[in-house]
Amino acid sequence: MRLFFAIIVCKLLRLIGKLVGKGSSLPGKYALKLCPDALGRVKLPEYIIAVTGSNGKTSTVEMIAAILRRAGKTVVYNQEGSNQIEGVTTLILCNSTLGGKMRGDVLLLESDERYARLSFRFFHPTHFVITNLYRDQLTRNGHPEWVYNAIAPAIHPDTTLVLNADDPLVSCFARDHGRVKWFGLEKCSISTADHRGMYHDGARCPVCGGKMDYDYYHYEHIGAYTCPDCGHRRRTPDFAVTDLDLAAGRLTIDGETEIALAFRSIYNVYNILAAWSVCSLAGVEKGLMASVINNYILKNGRMVQFTLGGRRGTLLTSKHENSVAYDTNLAYIRAAGTPCAVLVIVDAISRKYFTGETSWLWDIDFNQLNCQSVRQVVLCGKYVNDLALRFDFTDIPPEKIARFDTVAQAAEALRDSGEEELYVVTCFSDRDKLLSLVQLDQ
Amino acid sequence: MELTILHLYPDMMNLYGEYANVAVLRRRLEALGVAAAAEEVPCGGRPDLSGADLIYMGAGTERKQKYALEALCPWREDLRAAVDRGAVLLFTGSAMEVLGTSVTDASGRVWPGLGLADFTTVETEKRTPVDVVATPTLWEAPAVGFMNKCSLTHGVATPLFSALSLGFGNEADHGAEGYVSGNVFATHLTGPVLVKNPDFGDLLLRRLFAQKGWDLPETLPELPHQRAAYAVTLEELQKRSGG
Repeated sequence: MRLFFAIIVCKLLRLIGKLVGKGSSLPGKYALKLCPDALGRVKLPEYIIAVTGSNGKTSTVEMIAAILRRAGKTVVYNQEGSNQIEGVTTLILCNSTLGGKMRGDVLLLESDERYARLSFRFFHPTHFVITNLYRDQLTRNGHPEWVYNAIAPAIHPDTTLVLNADDPLVSCFARDHGRVKWFGLEKCSISTADHRGMYHDGARCPVCGGKMDYDYYHYEHIGAYTCPDCGHRRRTPDFAVTDLDLAAGRLTIDGETEIALAFRSIYNVYNILAAWSVCSLAGVEKGLMASVINNYILKNGRMVQFTLGGRRGTLLTSKHENSVAYDTNLAYIRAAGTPCAVLVIVDAISRKYFTGETSWLWDIDFNQLNCQSVRQVVLCGKYVNDLALRFDFTDIPPEKIARFDTVAQAAEALRDSGEEELYVVTCFSDRDKLLSLVQLDQ
Repeated sequence: MELTILHLYPDMMNLYGEYANVAVLRRRLEALGVAAAAEEVPCGGRPDLSGADLIYMGAGTERKQKYALEALCPWREDLRAAVDRGAVLLFTGSAMEVLGTSVTDASGRVWPGLGLADFTTVETEKRTPVDVVATPTLWEAPAVGFMNKCSLTHGVATPLFSALSLGFGNEADHGAEGYVSGNVFATHLTGPVLVKNPDFGDLLLRRLFAQKGWDLPETLPELPHQRAAYAVTLEELQKRSGG
C-alpha cells in the first residue's frame, strides 16, 4: 500500500514539476519518504543496465539506448542525467503501473560513481558497465581510488560486470567477482611504447604498489599493463576494437565489423565499444548494432559548431578539473591538422559549486598545442592569469599566445582577426558565455 | 651558483600537479642566476639525499602514501642527516603526514612514521575537500589553496599557518594548519602550493640562499602572471570566507 501511494505521489509531483519546469529529483525524494524501500518492491524488467565511470557515461548510455530501441526494446532511461538515488526513484516510479510493475524491457541508468551504492541498495543491475576511472573533479570526488572504494560496495555478486580491460584500476573490480566481460582496444595505429601526458596514474600497480610494465599505451595510463610483482594485468577482451584508424575515422570490432566514426576521438572509440559490448550481451544482433552506431552523431551536444565573423568554429566540451577530457580534445585538435586558433576559457571552474582550485591545469598536456597548425592560442576568463602562467611552462612560443580578461573581449578579438578555424576548449560552466556571442549552426 | 632539488617519489606522490612546485622554484632560481638541477627519485631503493639542498614530496592517495612511507622508512636517518645539515624539506598534501611519528589508517592499522616531527595522524572515513585561505606564521600575505584530506593530525606545536579563515586545520575546522621547524615545512595544502603562493616561494628561496651562504637581492624576481593569479584567487576565496 505504501508503494502504491509512493507511485501516485511521485507521478503527481513529476507532473506538477514538469508544468513549473522543476528538476526530476524532488518527486523521488518524497516517494522515498513515503516508502523508503520502494525500489526493492517494484517489479523491474529483465535487463537493468547501469553505466558508471569518470568519462563517457552520458555518450555511452545514449548509444546503448539508440541500439536497444532499434532492436525493438522499450528502454526507460535517465536522459535528464539525474543519476543519484532520488532521480533514479523518480524515473522508475513514474514508469511503473500503480500495481508496482515497471513498464519497459530495459531499465538503463547512467549512475553517479559516488552514489551508485545508495541507488543499488534495493535492486542491482544485471549488467554494470564501468568505463574508466580518472582524475575527475577531485574537489568533489577525492581521487580515483576513493571513487573505486565508493563503487565497489555497489557491486552485487549476481551482476555481470562489463569492464574496460585497458584501465588498470577499473580492472581491479574483477578481483573476487565471478561474472565479468571485458572490452578493450588492441594494439593499433595510436598505440605508443612510451607514456604520454603530464602524470602517469598507471605507473604503480593499484593492487600491490609495484612498478607496472606496459607493452603499449593508447593514451595516458590506458593500455596493456602487467605488474611483475603480483600479476595484475590487462585481460584479453571479450569484445575488442581490433583495428583503428582515427585519422580516417574507422574502426573494426572483433576483426569483422567496420564502423565509421562521426567524431574522430579516442573517447568515441571506447564509448562505442562499451555500448556494443553490453548490447551484444543483451542479445542484439551485430548487423543491427553496426547499422545504428555507424557514423552515429551524439545528440548530447558535447560538440557544437558555429560561425564567428569569418571563422568556422567548433566547441569541444571538456570538463574543467578533468585533465584527460582536456587532453583528448587537445589531441583531436592537433590531429585535425587544419590551420587554426584555439580558445581556452576558464572563468567558473564549476557550474554546480564554487571552487578556486586550479591545480588540474598543471595536469593537462597543453604542449600538444605546440604544433604548426595551431597558429594562435587565446586564453581568457577569470583564471586567465593561472592559464597564462601554466602556458609559460609549455614550449609554445609566447608570441602565439594572447590573453583577455573576459570571454567577450576574446570573442571580439577573434571575430576581427583572421579566418582560420577556431577550436574552443572549455567546460559546461563556461561554454554558454561564448555560444551566446556566436552564430550557431542549425 | 648551483643547487640540487630532489623530488621524492613523483611516481607515487603526484596527485594534483605537484611537479609544478619544482618547475616554478627552478625557474625562479634561474632568474637569480642559480642553475638548479632537479632530480626525480622514483619510489624504491635508497635515495641519495646527501647532495640535496631541497627535498620535496607531494600528495598521494591513502594507499600510495603508505607505499611511499614504507619505502622511505628504512632511510629515515639519511633524511634526518639532510635536515641536520640544513637542507630545506617541503612535504605537501598527504606527504605531510609521513613526517610524524605515526599514521593510523581507517582500518585502525598503525603505520610508523619517519619521526622527523612529533605529531601523529589518524585517518577518518570522512573526506574534506575544501578551498583554503590561511594565515601564515612566517610571512604576511594570506596563503591560498586547496586541501583534500581525510585525516586529523594531532600534536603540532609549531604550525605553518596559525589559523584558516577557510579550510580544515590539522585537527579542527579553521584551526591551525601544517608544521614548520627550522627548514622543515609541511602543509596539507595540495598541488602547486608554490605556484599559488609566491610569498611562500620567496621564503623558500631565502632559506635556500641562506643555507648556501649566498647573498640574495632585496627584491626577488617574479614570474609573470603569478601575483595577478594569486590576487584573483584570494579575492574569490575571501568572498566565501567573509574575510
